Amino acid sequence: MNKRNEKLGWLFASPYLIYTLIFFLFPLLWAAYLAFTNWNTIAPEYDFVGLENFFNAFSSETVKAAFFVTYKFMLMFVPIVIIGSLFLAFLIHSLPKFKGLFSVGFFLPYLASGVASAIVVNGVLSYNSPFNEQLRSIGLDVDWLGSPILAPLIIALMMAWKFVGYYALLFLSGLESIPKEIYEAAEIDGAVGWKRFWHVTIPMLYPSFYTVTILAVGLMFGIFTEPYVLTGGGPEYATHTWQLEIYNQAFEKLNAGYGTAVAIINSIVTFLSIYIFKKVLEKWGAKHGWE
Amino acid sequence: MKRLKKFFAVFLVLLIPLTGCQGGDDEAASDTENENVVEFEFWSAPNPTQEAFWKSMADEYMKENTDVKINVSPMPESPSSEAGIQAAIASGSAPAVSENISRGFAAQLAGSEAIVPLEEFEGYDELIGNRNMEGSIAGWEFADGHQYVLPIYSNAMLFAWRLDILNELGYSEPPKTYSEVIEVGQKLKEKYPDKFLWARADLVQPTWWARWFDFFMLYNAASGGANFTSGSDFVADRDAGIKTLNFFNDLNENELVLTREATDPFETGMSIMMDIGPWTFPYWAEKFPDLVYGETFALSMPPVPDDVDPADSKTFADTKGLVIYSQASEEQQKAAFDFLTWVYSNPENDLTWFEKTNLPPARDDLSTNDAFVSYLEENPQLNIFAENIPNGTPAIDNEKFVEIQEEIGKEALNPIMKGEKDPEEAWDDMVDAISGVLK
Repeated sequence: MNKRNEKLGWLFASPYLIYTLIFFLFPLLWAAYLAFTNWNTIAPEYDFVGLENFFNAFSSETVKAAFFVTYKFMLMFVPIVIIGSLFLAFLIHSLPKFKGLFSVGFFLPYLASGVASAIVVNGVLSYNSPFNEQLRSIGLDVDWLGSPILAPLIIALMMAWKFVGYYALLFLSGLESIPKEIYEAAEIDGAVGWKRFWHVTIPMLYPSFYTVTILAVGLMFGIFTEPYVLTGGGPEYATHTWQLEIYNQAFEKLNAGYGTAVAIINSIVTFLSIYIFKKVLEKWGAKHGWE
Repeated sequence: MKRLKKFFAVFLVLLIPLTGCQGGDDEAASDTENENVVEFEFWSAPNPTQEAFWKSMADEYMKENTDVKINVSPMPESPSSEAGIQAAIASGSAPAVSENISRGFAAQLAGSEAIVPLEEFEGYDELIGNRNMEGSIAGWEFADGHQYVLPIYSNAMLFAWRLDILNELGYSEPPKTYSEVIEVGQKLKEKYPDKFLWARADLVQPTWWARWFDFFMLYNAASGGANFTSGSDFVADRDAGIKTLNFFNDLNENELVLTREATDPFETGMSIMMDIGPWTFPYWAEKFPDLVYGETFALSMPPVPDDVDPADSKTFADTKGLVIYSQASEEQQKAAFDFLTWVYSNPENDLTWFEKTNLPPARDDLSTNDAFVSYLEENPQLNIFAENIPNGTPAIDNEKFVEIQEEIGKEALNPIMKGEKDPEEAWDDMVDAISGVLK
């Protein structure tokens, strides 16, 4: 029976294993090899260049920009999206009716095309939009996408708008799963209002908070569409992300070997960053006894 | 061990349908009823109008040539058509022929031997002669002396001017020289402080392709279309280049340019000058019917330095063409070339193209050939594009054209428009940076 189950297990897992093998493992090995060459994806011949691509990447101004821009986005996006989604989750949780309907409504931006929303934002922030005309009429002339400070903030806000509904669902499921008995017990112990929120709700939401934070941090290393459409990575590389750098190098400048090396560096940086965040969150959770 | 063997057996069985999903085209290719039939793939540009044109051409051709089968499909365009072509070449699934290839991208493809020289095909001279394109194709010759691209269309980029506003300022036609442009701009600012001469956010961005529609339009006008690079040498006309940058500097110092994103600034009258290609007219007809050629707007070649005759003005030619890929078999390459020869032996096919796409066919006789006269009379705004096809200079034919054009922005144009460099310093910095790229 056990053997039969084991076979069945392998059988059911095999489509995913095959999928992983074809679409992840093989490309990963190929990329690892490609990073040590100067192939441009179309030439019949190429040379093995050793670590040259990696050395070039470490000394590249645009790679450095991508590295720091990612953390800049993180500083803006993560707090905004966590506070926003938490607030939204509480709002939906407190509704007497139609929770599902509102959940779906706030989830919709997540399904919206990044290109479409970027074009809309571009229109809203354009020099002659009604919004800017109004601002100028009161003496405020703001170059939203031309400012190295405002441009990344706009993109972070756009992404927060897109993901806030999705993360709110995760928080909502966390809120819904807190047993009522715990609240009742806390009430008996005198924990009401803010006390209840800080000492009961937040600790019980820790697993959701942990998940959302890790997802949000990971997301910052994959930003492409919004800066590509809105700013092209500018002004002055203020919105130049890892994915833009990889795309520009591999598909516009035909430096596929170098682009792959940058992609590998990006993967390592992503892994390390998420790992550090994970450890920090675990320590923080353990310190408060939330784990 | 046995279990592992069984697992791999199951694994392989499951792989069969997956692999079966791929290579449908190959199967189709080998499954031709008649072994004498030459079958090849034709990739059209990823837009329905062009795809429809090539499908109809292929259908007609196959009626006359039953020994040829042409599969027309749009090229993949995610994340870009160039990336789609690269992916196809990398995976060994490139078509025999495709359109939508710019000269710069062709240089990259040629540098990697991914495309074949067209002049080596039998009947090449006949094709060029039949289509009356000796002049148009001359500028397409690559540094190695080969012709890798057959240009389909050529948009000699022009400037559109708000004629109604020019009239208000006391002018009956667009300015032709730098000092005339600055004078018009100053008068505009006097009368309408909130308006701009030109609205172009790309002037402060290093976006490589944007340089075709600002720097190269004006540099070609100032230099008579002088080469920018030749092989791996930087050969640009320094005097014309500095004059061009000086003009941009004057525009900036007089605060005549809006370098922020704006929605339809020219159409709404917020700016009175814009770089324009003929693809804009269908959009205007639909959204801005008040823009009428000769009434509310006029078209002109790029302005020239004061010491240059405006009649000698040249411009950037936004032009794309067809290439034949080296991955195709010799038989497929020849069949593809014969198909192109057939298409371009009849000017009516070029007329159909022009009517469907609004993109002027790359012919020297476009404004004089009887086949096009009535269509150009019905669409006078296209006539000036047709007349200036011989005055259009295509993109530079260098594999590093993306980096070169990025440097023009980063080192010269962007800092000038931000008031950070003077023109000579900007030019010299740009030359140094480009020389570094070309090494």
